[in-house]
Amino acid sequence: MIRTEELLLNVGPQHPSTHGVFRIVVKLDGEVITEATPVMGYLHRGTEKLAEQLNYTQIIPYTDRMDYVSAMTNNYVLVHAVETMMGLEVPERAEFLRLIVMELQRVASHLVWWGTYLLDIGAMSPFLYAFRDRETIINLFNELCGARLTYNYMRVGGVKWDAPPGWIDKVSEFIPYMEGKLREYDKLVSGNEIFLARIKGIGKYDAETAIDYGLSGANLRCTGVDWDLRKAEPYSLYSRFEFDVPLGQNGDCYDRYRIRLEEIRQSLRILKQAIVQFPSSGETMGKVPRAIRPPAGEVYTRIESPRGEIGCHIVSKGKAEPYRLKFRRPSFVNLQILPKLLIGETMTNLITILGGVDIVVGEVDC
Amino acid sequence: MSEEEKKAQQESGPADAEKDEKQKAAETTPIAEAGQTAAQQSVEAADPEKAAKLKAAAEARAARAAAKAAAETAEAAEASAPPPPSPKQPELDAVTALIRREVADEALEDAYINELNGHMPTLIVKNEYWRSIAELLKIENDFTYLRNVSGVDYETHLEVVYHLVSLRSGRELAVKIKADREKPEVSSATPVWATANWNEREIYDLLGIVFPGHPDLRRIMMPDDWAGHPLRKDYEPLDSEV
Amino acid sequence: MKGLFRGLGVTLKAMASPKVTTSYPDVPFEMPDRFRGIQHFIPELCIVCNQCARICPTDCITLTGKPNPDPEKRGKVIDTFDINFEICILCDLCTEVCPTEAIVMTNHFELSAFSRDDLFKDAQWLTDNNTLVRKDNNNIGAPAKGGAK
Repeated sequence: MIRTEELLLNVGPQHPSTHGVFRIVVKLDGEVITEATPVMGYLHRGTEKLAEQLNYTQIIPYTDRMDYVSAMTNNYVLVHAVETMMGLEVPERAEFLRLIVMELQRVASHLVWWGTYLLDIGAMSPFLYAFRDRETIINLFNELCGARLTYNYMRVGGVKWDAPPGWIDKVSEFIPYMEGKLREYDKLVSGNEIFLARIKGIGKYDAETAIDYGLSGANLRCTGVDWDLRKAEPYSLYSRFEFDVPLGQNGDCYDRYRIRLEEIRQSLRILKQAIVQFPSSGETMGKVPRAIRPPAGEVYTRIESPRGEIGCHIVSKGKAEPYRLKFRRPSFVNLQILPKLLIGETMTNLITILGGVDIVVGEVDC
Repeated sequence: MSEEEKKAQQESGPADAEKDEKQKAAETTPIAEAGQTAAQQSVEAADPEKAAKLKAAAEARAARAAAKAAAETAEAAEASAPPPPSPKQPELDAVTALIRREVADEALEDAYINELNGHMPTLIVKNEYWRSIAELLKIENDFTYLRNVSGVDYETHLEVVYHLVSLRSGRELAVKIKADREKPEVSSATPVWATANWNEREIYDLLGIVFPGHPDLRRIMMPDDWAGHPLRKDYEPLDSEV
Repeated sequence: MKGLFRGLGVTLKAMASPKVTTSYPDVPFEMPDRFRGIQHFIPELCIVCNQCARICPTDCITLTGKPNPDPEKRGKVIDTFDINFEICILCDLCTEVCPTEAIVMTNHFELSAFSRDDLFKDAQWLTDNNTLVRKDNNNIGAPAKGGAK
């Protein structure tokens, strides 16, 4: 007698497509998933507990390592929270440097996402092209702050280094180069029939579900909800620049793909305007007291990282160390919808959907 | 000796100054060189030249402290005038009135504006009413987006903070629920906002707060058989190397 | 089918464009001046103020000092200075706070060893590590050199 049985399969934690050490336990009926349970914690390093013994400047290198693909936005969320608590003014040149660096980081992070997503789906060349262009950005950061991935660049009250001579010109050369490359990527991938067949209509959800699950970033905007923190709750100098927020309609993986590529284009647009408005001289560090002691109280600030809304909740008792530091990580919250989306999908679509959510496991586990 | 006390105070004061080292180096080189132990301090102070220098430094410090105290009293006199009402006060009043009307009068323990955080209205509610308040806020007040759930361990009690936002109007709200340490329980908000699911699991895992009403409360970050709740202030790891 | 052919055109064009890869380790990789590599230590300049050990986020610096052997001069000189490179994250905070720039970073980054004990570097090794020393330090702790903000 032949009968079928449900199969319990472990996707991960060592898996080339789970974007880190991340495990999904799936129950399979043939090739169709009946239930999926994500298991995480393999990369939990206790950043929040460690932060209770370090002062704010010492926590900045730790924040780099949470979402290691977009470390500048992580630096900024912590520094911004402390500055909000203390009411510090950041000089204009420092704020411009921060903004330029964050937008470059957004481009770099979306390139990593694009390259690895297509690699998971099966296309090998876009991965190399994406990393080639990301090398240009990483080399720019290397010249600016001395590291390629974990920058430790921002400080409470400003930034650590000023731009070396010629750096801004290199950034302005990079912008038209990247725009040309984006057109090339569109020619390479976006018309490809195989790609479209694999992506369109996969992983659909509507706006109500997205809001209920607290999704943010491209995952929320693909359903048509116009919520981008750079426009809705402007921070830094974003209110001075003109840029559009790409929105989707269907809420499927293809819309998320298109939105993220369009976000690269909009970031380049912001960069162009920022370089024109960049002050030619100025301080890189504001007036910061000798020891950084925010007043007692609590604060929750949030910014738009390439993955969504990253937030920092600090409870301070007036000392140099935070009493409680919690990061609201976008990958962690965005991942909650995964079990719901995966029911009834095939195994191949699991990889597509997981890639479309754009997680970084360092952030999921913190 | 009062000099010794003052020196000790200065040393342990801003213990983690990483800027302004120049001030420390310039004016207090004798103190820096006097080393970290009191024994060494007394030995060096025995030198009469050094003692005179230290005395001068102590006097300068006393003068500065007196000037600071005078400035502070002047400030305190200014600050005793009441601060202007916050721009978000009407929002807070509307929310508190709504809760008092629909749920119960004693549901709210406290309501205030958090000035540090961009004047965010903050409510402290009682646990028995939290579930009905959550549904009220979502349906009546359009707080459909739960941004963040954090757990905090104050040493006397535990607390859970929910940050809400309304996408259409941009209004924000923070709601805090207190729980006592012995048997911490906060009604789960997962049936109202699905975002709270894993957030509450993380708080359960790391702080030990139980959320009755949660569909699947188990550990999320730590291994399933871990003993203890790591983020608590009194957490002692069984294996100190880990 | 048209989309496939357009994509193929892009890859064929890329075949004809110049190579972007480098042949490290046959060709050494040049890092810019500000690169945060392994530290270089200058014992003569150290005044044993302990700021580097205090600011280190991972507590990887341990140092001891001894009173100056020269009876004329005051202060301490450095006796031992160790950095545990198993946990050093090359974050550059120690060079930022050093008031005398006794510890600076170089452009070296190759630290692989066959045994973990080799990663615990002492003062002699750090002093000998004096090639490719970084010039632009932006040191906040030593304002005399124009670094204070």
